[in-house]
Amino acid sequence: MIWMMIFFPLLGAFLNGLVFRKAPKGVSHAIAVGAMLASFACAVTLFMEMMAAGGEAKVIHGIPWISAGGFSAPFNLILDRLSGLMILVVTGIGSLIHIYAGGYMHEEERTSRFFSYLNLFVFMMLLLVLGDNMLVMFVGWEGVGLCSYLLIGYWFQDDANAAAGMKAFIVNRIGDIGFLLGIFLTFKHFGTVSFSELREMVGSGALDAVKLGAVGWITLCLFIGACGKSAQLPLYVWLPDAMAGPTPVSALIHAATMVTAGIYMMTRVNFLYYLAPSTLQVVAIVGGLTAFFAATIALVQNDIKKVLAYSTVSQLGYMVMACGVGAFDAGVFHLLTHACFKALLFLGAGSVIVAMHHKQDMRDMGGLSKYMPITHIVFLIGVLAIIGFPGLAGFFSKDEILWKSFTGGGPVLWGVGAVTAGLTSFYMVRLLCLTFYGPNRSDHHTREHLHETPAMMWAPLVVLAILSATIGYLGVPEVLGGHNVFHHYMEPVLMMPAQVSEHWESLSAHHSHEFEMGLMGASVAIMFVASGLAVSLYARGPAAVLDNWAKKFHGAYEALSNKYWIDEIYDSWIVQPLHDMSEFLWAIVDVRVVDGLVNGVGQVCNLAAGLASFRMTGSVHRHGMVLVMGLVVLLVVLVV
Amino acid sequence: MIPVENYFLLASFVFLCGLSGVMFRRNLIMVLMSIELMLNAVNIVFVAASRQLAQVDGQIMVLFVITVAACEAAVGLAMVIALFRRYGTVNTEFLRLLRG
Repeated sequence: MIWMMIFFPLLGAFLNGLVFRKAPKGVSHAIAVGAMLASFACAVTLFMEMMAAGGEAKVIHGIPWISAGGFSAPFNLILDRLSGLMILVVTGIGSLIHIYAGGYMHEEERTSRFFSYLNLFVFMMLLLVLGDNMLVMFVGWEGVGLCSYLLIGYWFQDDANAAAGMKAFIVNRIGDIGFLLGIFLTFKHFGTVSFSELREMVGSGALDAVKLGAVGWITLCLFIGACGKSAQLPLYVWLPDAMAGPTPVSALIHAATMVTAGIYMMTRVNFLYYLAPSTLQVVAIVGGLTAFFAATIALVQNDIKKVLAYSTVSQLGYMVMACGVGAFDAGVFHLLTHACFKALLFLGAGSVIVAMHHKQDMRDMGGLSKYMPITHIVFLIGVLAIIGFPGLAGFFSKDEILWKSFTGGGPVLWGVGAVTAGLTSFYMVRLLCLTFYGPNRSDHHTREHLHETPAMMWAPLVVLAILSATIGYLGVPEVLGGHNVFHHYMEPVLMMPAQVSEHWESLSAHHSHEFEMGLMGASVAIMFVASGLAVSLYARGPAAVLDNWAKKFHGAYEALSNKYWIDEIYDSWIVQPLHDMSEFLWAIVDVRVVDGLVNGVGQVCNLAAGLASFRMTGSVHRHGMVLVMGLVVLLVVLVV
Repeated sequence: MIPVENYFLLASFVFLCGLSGVMFRRNLIMVLMSIELMLNAVNIVFVAASRQLAQVDGQIMVLFVITVAACEAAVGLAMVIALFRRYGTVNTEFLRLLRG
């Protein structure tokens, strides 16, 4: 069953990519969606079976894969509560996005290539989340990176798109080096890269000081990998550019699934992270900074997808921060809710973009609620979910993270998170107002063609909206009278050492329920204030007061709208020197020195041959004469 | 009985005739004929020596040389014909493919 689930998307990719390449759009779409739905059905069955069996982790033995000396990495899969959840997210939300993509790609001539990549991505993602050892995970990890590259540059006729794809790929390679080093170190010190074996080893408590020391480096290396994939500082730069791809790709790969791989991977090896408190500290700080940093950039972006991209970076920062304070379950919970509402927001933005004839600038939108009522309603739900409106998904997951960051990380981290929540509310409400409310600012031609999208596109949105509204109730905290089902669901996955869990107990016991309520109230208040501010400024389109602000805080505004010049700094400090060095290596070392040496040897030979070649007259008689004269000389020498 | 030295002198003369023909004739057919002369000079030496030493080996060797000469002539003439077809001449002045 589990193999079937994995191979359905691969089969879909195979059929679309190699067999039915020239098929009409409808056929490509049907193949891809069929593969996804079959895979989703398998995932649900597997999940049910696993939960019926008590939710125990199960290793599914596959073929022996790599075996060399003392090293072996069989192609085993692991199905436990964590990967069970992930396969539901990947195949479930993936199916919805596949259905939607049929509508979004309607104007394309052929879509077999697109759906082939998309299915291949799902296959790789399933490998990533199901791999029982780091190498299988790495195969999936690289595979999703490849599909991401292919899909960002899907419209590769435009150079900018191709460049964005390459940027994503190359920046991810930097993270991958960290991941690889982590794998090597793990093997060096533990002799295995299998998650279940590592877990047993750590669980038995038989770690000496050397191994404990190595754990710090291993976790740090793995975190660098997670930084690349999950777009954390300083490697986040590829994600905003990745918006060059078709919008369903942004929703599936760059919001719901692939970018959460880093959080998934850290949660998978949470038992190692718990042994490395200093790494956890780094993780928490990086996550918090990323959340805040990306949210500030999102404030002033005008491209609807760019806002969502920076928002994704920011939300990923939240998840990483949760992992950093040891609350991996909260991180995964936010991953789950974020997958729902961010996919919804991206797909909603996609519908808007289609209706606007592929214009993405929000300054040209406005008043779309009149033309696209269904999209408007579901988008509104998505926005309320992400800003943490009480009762919707984002409220529960974000609040869980904020509470854990207060107890586990301290008031400063909580403050960063809370301010970020305020910024999130501001830019999301700004996006909502600029897009759906106020006067319509598009040109006459575009306005005439504004219309609601077909059912193939809005139906998945409705499903996602329902999920965004309700999925939060999986994790109602105890302070609100819930049982935090999700926390208990994840408990067997996490493996805290005794002293860490005791530390946690004391931290939580230290704060009263009233205090937790107070913090929750504070973040909700921040949310309302920020949203109110955004509504008052943007409800009637961009207000004049904003221009004054932009002039008044000129420096800050410039910094934000230029994304802190990070891309320019990377360009001048890293890319340009590399480029110059490559140019030096090419023009001087390669062309002059290496080629010069090789060509020089050839030229010397040529010259010497030219000197000697006057002897080569080509006359048979001359040659015969020389032969005879030689013979005569030989005879004379021999006889005399 | 003719002394064996006379045979050797005759053979040397014939051989030198052949050798000079190979070296100085420009026509490839003449060159081939000169090679035949050289081979036959060797044959004379073989036969003379065979009789002088009263051994039959030399005469056997002559039979081999005649066979090889026949083969050589066949192959050589075939090549000359091929050359003529290709270049329209069998004059070695104009066949200088190995010139450096």
